[in-house]
Amino acid sequence: MYSPTLIDHFRNPRNAGMMRDPDGVGEGEYEACMDLARFYLRVRDGRVVEARFQTYGCGPTIAASSAGTELAAGQRLEDLAALPEARVEAAVGGLPGERRHAAEVVALAIRAAARDALRRLETARGLEKA
Amino acid sequence: MNRRVYLDHNASTPVHPEVVEAMLPYFAERFGNPSSVHAFGREAREGLETAREQIAHFLRVGKEEIVFTSGGTESDNMAVKGVAMARGRGHIITSRIEHHAVLRTCESLETLGFEVTYLPVDGHGMVDPDEVRRHLRPDTILVSVMHANSEVGTLEPVREIGHVARERGVPFHVDAVQTFGKVPIDLDGASIDLLSFSSHKIYGPKGVAGLFIRRGTKMVSVQHGGEHERRRRAGTENVAGIVGFGKAVEVRARDMADEAVRVTALRNRLWEGIRARVPEVRLNGHPTERLPGTCNMCFRNVESESIVLGLDLAGIGVSAGSACTSGNVEPSYVLVAMGVPVDWAMGSVRCSLGRSTTAEDIDYVIEVTAPLVEKLRSLSPASV
Repeated sequence: MYSPTLIDHFRNPRNAGMMRDPDGVGEGEYEACMDLARFYLRVRDGRVVEARFQTYGCGPTIAASSAGTELAAGQRLEDLAALPEARVEAAVGGLPGERRHAAEVVALAIRAAARDALRRLETARGLEKA
Repeated sequence: MNRRVYLDHNASTPVHPEVVEAMLPYFAERFGNPSSVHAFGREAREGLETAREQIAHFLRVGKEEIVFTSGGTESDNMAVKGVAMARGRGHIITSRIEHHAVLRTCESLETLGFEVTYLPVDGHGMVDPDEVRRHLRPDTILVSVMHANSEVGTLEPVREIGHVARERGVPFHVDAVQTFGKVPIDLDGASIDLLSFSSHKIYGPKGVAGLFIRRGTKMVSVQHGGEHERRRRAGTENVAGIVGFGKAVEVRARDMADEAVRVTALRNRLWEGIRARVPEVRLNGHPTERLPGTCNMCFRNVESESIVLGLDLAGIGVSAGSACTSGNVEPSYVLVAMGVPVDWAMGSVRCSLGRSTTAEDIDYVIEVTAPLVEKLRSLSPASV
């Protein structure tokens, strides 16, 4: 049912846990099943240099979160702010139909974290000008 | 290579070797249709009737009171619809934690004008016989309460409920799919008029089950098309399956008492071991009035599918109390009816032990579960 990539990410989740003083934080939730993913981003020059996650949910959502941190690394915030779910699904080697919400939850969280990071950058620029 | 441990015996069981041996001749040697008048048919008929006698003897009832079906679901449908359709209208009492085979059947009868009362259960999942008495009406035509719930294993007070129903002359159906062959059933003592029971929960083959119908119970057939089973259930009988069922019951009669003691001790070993190693875990179901092998636990702040997957990857097969399907996860309706809070209910896992389960298996499960739950909790935002 699950790809070897997904199983690997579930067994050996990468970049799990909080981040100290993150540059962006965002959450994604799938209310129907209470899966929740929270992403933390470290940003330099408009790109993510490190991403971490905390997730409550089924195996695929945990695996997608882990894969999501690798997906986000090195990406521009503007691109992550519009991250499609399909890329998250591809990062875990595909998802069965009844587990597609895992990709949705993680994409929501990454997009929210990227937008949060962009807002903070805007605020910082505004303060500098003042 | 991982050890393989199967702890999902409430879902299904491996067929006992003696059962396989009993069934084999009925595939290619004694393969006739039991309704045929020639010798080929008579051979098959003999096997079928021997099985019927074995089961009737086990239940201490007349063999004419046993009808074979294709599964526990069909037996439940037959019992509830058969009684309802014989009356044409009326009121049914059942519980909120019945198997879907009873619940969905009752819901379908409601669309035809029947009224149904779904009784609540207490925190252990137990029905109160006084609630049954309180809800009986002049137009009540059936009481249907399961003997044990498949998820949490709580044994219902069927003796007391049966007496309440019998006092008012209302037929009493018991879904005993999870208890038949595991704990004693006293049909007369509990005033049971209809009893659903199944083969594949007691090391018999899938695709065959039975319904006890007490002589004199008014009901109609729900499957038409032949005179089989004394015109109560049309369709060529699953002879090999029924022969296997009869043998499975014979084996259970021999092994049931000792196995109940052994499996209860292992079940308690599992719970005590988990409770000692894992914080924020609770046991669901009645502490003592429970199926010997059932251990349903809730792990707080961990989602049940992730536990099931983690155990599966370690070679351990268990069942999740909730199911994550196309975005519609509901916590188990049984746990909800018992009042288990959602943040606990979403982390429920059912372990159901059986004939093959050993103490080493249980210790292995504990060794795997404790660090797995700790790891999953460390990933969760709630752990902060």
